[in-house]
Amino acid sequence: MVDDKTVDVLQKKKVRLNNTAILFLILVVMFALFSYVGRPFFFSKLNLIPMINNLSFVGIIAAILTMVMVSGEIDFSIGGNIGLTACLTALLLEKGLPGWLVVIIALAGGFAMGAFNGMLVTVVGVNSIIATIGTMFIWRGIGYTITNGESKLALNTVIDYIGRGFVFKVIPFPIVLLVAVFIITYIIMNHSKWGRRIYAIGANPLASFLSGINVKKVKFIGFLFCGAAAALGGLVLTSLSAVGMPQHGQGQELVIISAIILGGTALGGGRGQILGTLAGVFILSVLYNFLTIMNIYYFYIQMVQGSVLILVVSTYEIRQAVARRRT
Amino acid sequence: MSDSNGIVLRMENITKTFPGVVALDNVSIDLYKGEVLGILGENGAGKSTLIKILAGNYIKDSGDIFIDGQKFEIKGPAEAMSSGIRVIYQELNTINNLTVAENIFIGEQLVKGPLKIIDWKGMNKKAEELLAVMNVKLDPNAIIGDLTVSEKQIVEIAKAISQEAKILVMDEPTAALSEEETQSLFKIIQALKTKGVAIIYISHRLKEIFEITDRVTVLRDGKKVGTLKTKESDSNKLVEMMVGRDIKDMYPKRHVPIGGVVMEVNNLGAEGFDNISFKLRKGEILGIFGLLGSGRSSLVKALFGANKIKNGEIIVNGKKLRIKSPGMARDAKIGLVPLDRKIEGLALMMGVKENITLANIKELGKSFLIARNQERRKAGNWVDEIGIRTPSVEQEVNSLSGGNQQKVVLAKWLESGSQIIILNEPTRGVDVGAKIEIYKLMQDLCEKGSSIIMISSELPEILSIADRIIVMSKGRFTEEYKICDASEEGLLRSACL
Repeated sequence: MVDDKTVDVLQKKKVRLNNTAILFLILVVMFALFSYVGRPFFFSKLNLIPMINNLSFVGIIAAILTMVMVSGEIDFSIGGNIGLTACLTALLLEKGLPGWLVVIIALAGGFAMGAFNGMLVTVVGVNSIIATIGTMFIWRGIGYTITNGESKLALNTVIDYIGRGFVFKVIPFPIVLLVAVFIITYIIMNHSKWGRRIYAIGANPLASFLSGINVKKVKFIGFLFCGAAAALGGLVLTSLSAVGMPQHGQGQELVIISAIILGGTALGGGRGQILGTLAGVFILSVLYNFLTIMNIYYFYIQMVQGSVLILVVSTYEIRQAVARRRT
Repeated sequence: MSDSNGIVLRMENITKTFPGVVALDNVSIDLYKGEVLGILGENGAGKSTLIKILAGNYIKDSGDIFIDGQKFEIKGPAEAMSSGIRVIYQELNTINNLTVAENIFIGEQLVKGPLKIIDWKGMNKKAEELLAVMNVKLDPNAIIGDLTVSEKQIVEIAKAISQEAKILVMDEPTAALSEEETQSLFKIIQALKTKGVAIIYISHRLKEIFEITDRVTVLRDGKKVGTLKTKESDSNKLVEMMVGRDIKDMYPKRHVPIGGVVMEVNNLGAEGFDNISFKLRKGEILGIFGLLGSGRSSLVKALFGANKIKNGEIIVNGKKLRIKSPGMARDAKIGLVPLDRKIEGLALMMGVKENITLANIKELGKSFLIARNQERRKAGNWVDEIGIRTPSVEQEVNSLSGGNQQKVVLAKWLESGSQIIILNEPTRGVDVGAKIEIYKLMQDLCEKGSSIIMISSELPEILSIADRIIVMSKGRFTEEYKICDASEEGLLRSACL
């Protein structure tokens, strides 16, 4: 009884593309405008490469966190995770461990932090907002403790490469990481069985459970990889700044979550697009970069960032309300 | 205030379209002062849309609304309220942690003094008066959460009439009420009628339509089929108008040969029930009957691995199974069509195909990727095979009618190859036409060798469709009936043991 199937498919595609497409359009316009207004510095290698490097560490985490958020959970502990990872990295380097081993340990630490969050949420049953706000403080507290609150130099050829290396001498390594993470998460979310489970759980956890999906396992693995992604981000940040300090990543959880929400992911789960998150990350970072190089006072920048988030999300709400009115 | 004809409300040529569907096509109704107008129609006939337009939740595409003879544009709920329209929805809107009085006066609490402090005493007193008018005894200070569903319904009605209702709309008000409670609701309706309130009564229960309404308007597929005086109509006529054809057999039953035992449950106990034993045979439809709180839904959840089993055993095809999760039940080829499909059965914001393949995602292709064409084909096959009416397999299930949603849930289990299908109230919230289709479908499945456990509280349904019925009461087994020995009285008696 399937009739005019093609028409409907087209219509649905159109609707789904809209929000993300609009975001990319905004991004292009912003970029063009900023390149003109901020000429010649904005559109120069000297500005763009550090900007994209910085954006990469946000984007890597945002991509994975999008998966967690689509499944209906959230992770606030990423900022603390970044700080702890940075401290751990610097300390281990200080102890004289080889760079590659430090990277492995740091990532393992990230997995461990993610596993802890996942356990709290899926086994103990703590609400993920509460659980991860708690662990956010704990991770950062541990960072302060092990470094005594001091920043430590983190210089090592391997670590340096993660944030400041170039692949084929031209492509900054963080960008390679970013692209890789986005391709992988895009395939998972849009084309894999795993991604289907994530969307289904976000759309209706009880129905998913009663359809035989192991809801807890899917959520746990989301947290697990979110921890690892945050640790990877922490490594990039440590490398970019060449120091490990417990303040690293402070407040970043909100920036990252803002970017994801800006990209169209629903807080309650079930809806969200990896490409939307990518656009969200770019919009917030490009805006921040532009305002900074235009010498706008930092306090004002914060206000602008907040306003953009509210503006975009309000637009979503209005569009949805209009759509609902029509149906 | 009403004009000389006594017409309080006239909706004229109302049309409302949604993308791809004409929900209402030139529908007109009149409503007289002090009458009860029944609106009858299957799911998807347009009843709810009509009411939502009246309540200001939807904006009509075209048509006119006259209140007391004057043209009136309803632009939102506030305008509808201000013109004396009150709607009691099927889903209760009471707030559980507030008291009865607070709920009744929500949004317009009585206040006193210059500081506008809430006048608790006055509010409680007025609530009491209101409840007395309705002839019910209910403590205004009681917390809503402690009340029964029917008491909550009464609070909703009190809320509606506390604010000078001129037109009162009740959308399936008895869905959650017992027979006795329904009768007291009818008394309230009679009382309101004599006070001149015009009432629109929406129901798909014919018995109630005959009992309480003066006239009845039948809708089908968004069109008005006609309006009859209730006294001059009969149920055959109304059903025919609703369905658009003559229904000879509401409960088609075929003879399906019954084979050997496929499932054996011995002394099973879990939360909500204990010591339940039964056997299910190949090709059989086993009915489970019980009243609210009998443990029937708990039993189903335990069989399906959603609730933890405390004692006893489940043997499927001769093998003792320890079903600890719905995933394990699925792998044992057991499927569950749950009680509340919107909450337990479907991912409403996802498409038909995603829902059909939901329980069997791992079979969607050989690799870790989803083979989209394969998925579309699988879903399309089920759509054709069991007659799911949808514009496409991509359609969000949210926009399908109740019967088609139920078929999607069933298709999900067929897709995962279930041999034992448990249906909890399979035709709840499903229109007559789809009901018959579901009965036929169940028997098709049995013919192909599946077995079905059907929980139902609809007596005519269970008595006609099941091959054997076991009755539960207070979490215990009370009686087993062969279908030839079963009767309404017998089942009810056993259910109250």
